[in-house]
Amino acid sequence: MTTHVTPPQRRKFLFIILGGVGAAFTALAVWPVWRYLLPREKTGEDAKIPIAKADIPLGKAHFFSFRGQPAVVLQPAPGQFVAFSAVCTHLGCIIQWQPGKGECLCPCHAGRFGTDGQVLGGPPPKPLDSLPATVEGDQVLVG
Amino acid sequence: MNWKKQVIDFIETRLGIRDILEQNLTKYLLPRNINAWYTLGAVLLTLFMIQFATGILLLIYYVPNPAEAFQSVERIMNEVPFGWLMRTLHAVGANIIIIALLLHMLSVMFMASYKRPRELTWLSGFIILNLAFALCLTGYLLPWSQLSFWATTVATDAAGAIPLIGDDLVRFLRGGSMVNEATLGRFFALHVMGMPLMLGLLIGFHLFCVRRAGISRAPFGPDYQPREHPDHFEHEEHHDGIPFFPNYVIKDTAVICFFLAFFLAIVFFAPNLFFPESAFEPADPFVTPPGIKPEWYFLWAYQALKIFPSEIIGLGVQGAFMTFLALLPFIDRGAERRPFKRPLFLTCYALGILLFVGISIWGHYS
Repeated sequence: MTTHVTPPQRRKFLFIILGGVGAAFTALAVWPVWRYLLPREKTGEDAKIPIAKADIPLGKAHFFSFRGQPAVVLQPAPGQFVAFSAVCTHLGCIIQWQPGKGECLCPCHAGRFGTDGQVLGGPPPKPLDSLPATVEGDQVLVG
Repeated sequence: MNWKKQVIDFIETRLGIRDILEQNLTKYLLPRNINAWYTLGAVLLTLFMIQFATGILLLIYYVPNPAEAFQSVERIMNEVPFGWLMRTLHAVGANIIIIALLLHMLSVMFMASYKRPRELTWLSGFIILNLAFALCLTGYLLPWSQLSFWATTVATDAAGAIPLIGDDLVRFLRGGSMVNEATLGRFFALHVMGMPLMLGLLIGFHLFCVRRAGISRAPFGPDYQPREHPDHFEHEEHHDGIPFFPNYVIKDTAVICFFLAFFLAIVFFAPNLFFPESAFEPADPFVTPPGIKPEWYFLWAYQALKIFPSEIIGLGVQGAFMTFLALLPFIDRGAERRPFKRPLFLTCYALGILLFVGISIWGHYS
């Protein structure tokens, strides 16, 4: 039995084969570029950040980098340490500590946060992200 | 009417893309006796695009500072996912481009396609070749390895042999009396911005010349007859020719695939082919490693400088040779293009290639 293949059928077949091979090669080329561009995971990302207690006087704030993001640790009452992400939940600006008022202020749109991270006023839709802080000897460990 | 057709019709009505595509693809006719050597232009375009893409990717992690350059390249090679691939593609790609450029130039010479009316095509192509050499030289310094540092020291030092301005020229090239931070800064700027811009413009001009003058008929076969070009502009038409698309695009694609296979075979199976040991040590301005040699495509120039009794004669001969090549279409003005009807040219051509290979091998083992 002979089967007749018409030119359009042959063209369609070749188109599918070439398209498949082309797609496979494109994927082979795109994958290394994608992996190359992906943000790299740094070792020790989950480690706790130690901060000397002496750097966080009573009623003051200490800003530091926590896993690549700005963070702040406060001592609102003697021996009580709290840590938050310093990124405002409104549009991502970095908050500032207002020592006279005992609260944090976002300089972009005047969002206000208390020492517990809760919103006191302004446009922020939610509290600052809280970070676990524990005291060990003369250090505060965040994370 | 479906949405695809609507979009195509919208663009077509405003820009007439279909007409441009027809004129440059299916209705663009090439000589019937066109051969595989004509595909080297497309091969080079592909290789330049790979070079451009990998260059941009390397810029993401490379730090152009003597204190950090070597470490940043090491980080790319050892820590960044597929960084080794990007860097090896870029470094090996530079060598493959030089091979393709030389083959392109030699095939154009053999078929005398440089002759009138294609003098400007040749000249722009020759400048592209030299710009590629300059890109290789400037890129060579960037990893700030012992090889980079000392190869650049030797290469820039050669300019000192030029009478009167030599010393000032060396200082200008280096940005100081020795290769230093300033050299890295200027080579980096030239390598990633200045030269690629010039290269892009020149490639554009080269392609414009090729398209405007028309593809030259290969000077082979019983039907070929040399002809004088008229005094006015004339696009070389090939009414009995084959369409660029799909016929010639398939040939282009096949040769591109061949070159990519060769290229990737080196990248995967002999990635260190072009890296001597001194490429893996950080630059030390106080210790010159023994036996520093330039890349293979500069070996002829390196050995020529050693053959002649004085550096200035060596540089002069090289300059004269390169000028002769640049002006070849203005010197060789006869209409005859068949290689075997040009015995003097053919002899010089063959001897020239042998001389280039011979001096390069001599330079390698000297």
